[in-house]
Amino acid sequence: MAALVASIYRGISYRGAEGQWAWILHRASGLGIVLFLYMHIVSIFIAAIGPGPYAWVHATLYTSPPAKVLEVFLLFGVLYHAFNGMRIIIIDFFPALGKYQRTIVRIELVLVVVVLVPAAIITLRGIF
Amino acid sequence: MATSSSRPYQGKTRYGAPNHEGRIWLFMRLTGLVMFITVVFHLLYMHMAVGVENITFDNIDARWSGPAGVFWRLFDASLLFIGMAHGMNGVRFSINDYVHNKILNFLLTAAVYGLGLFLILLGSLAIVLGAGGLGNLFQRLTG
Repeated sequence: MAALVASIYRGISYRGAEGQWAWILHRASGLGIVLFLYMHIVSIFIAAIGPGPYAWVHATLYTSPPAKVLEVFLLFGVLYHAFNGMRIIIIDFFPALGKYQRTIVRIELVLVVVVLVPAAIITLRGIF
Repeated sequence: MATSSSRPYQGKTRYGAPNHEGRIWLFMRLTGLVMFITVVFHLLYMHMAVGVENITFDNIDARWSGPAGVFWRLFDASLLFIGMAHGMNGVRFSINDYVHNKILNFLLTAAVYGLGLFLILLGSLAIVLGAGGLGNLFQRLTG
């Protein structure tokens, strides 16, 4: 626990700029996606029982207003983790590109925002 | 590479056969590449093309039926297996980074893997039995 607190404190106070923030977001989004996956699998198991359980799961966990707001976080988490993962793979296999890593992080964030904004608008359209 | 040479990395180092963690490093990249296609497709298709409101029990039943249903069940199984394998490994990395007590580290890792395997079993049951399959099985078992 002390190691965890110290690590989070160092993660925030260490002035590692783009690469450090990209790493923190990758870990946070990865752990968030795993928590969502746990919920997703259990809820699909319940929904697969029959039409009644399906309707309850669909209404409460997937289409209620709080679920729609959390869905935007999920969209950001998955898109960020996917694009940042591609950046990691590219730099792992072409280490010479490490010279431009700050630029690559910024290009990646632009790509995430370009995909996220229309997806978030479609997601939140129903509740406003 | 235990040298104190100050020469910069030339990109020509020859590495031996990868060890266990080296293979896991490659596994995370390969599964990541596959999921960049499959998970991003699943996410954008379900949220933007179909819309979460329109995913009904009958739609799932139809999508999982017939010859094309075999493809979609295999696709959904690939999301379940690859996603959970990649995710469980990511949680293991995090535990190793923060939990240095060997006993606690082992217990947490075992709990994460145990829960992961149990959830893979639940997901597989849903995919194999299909929409409503669990309810039908339960009714048959209880007469």
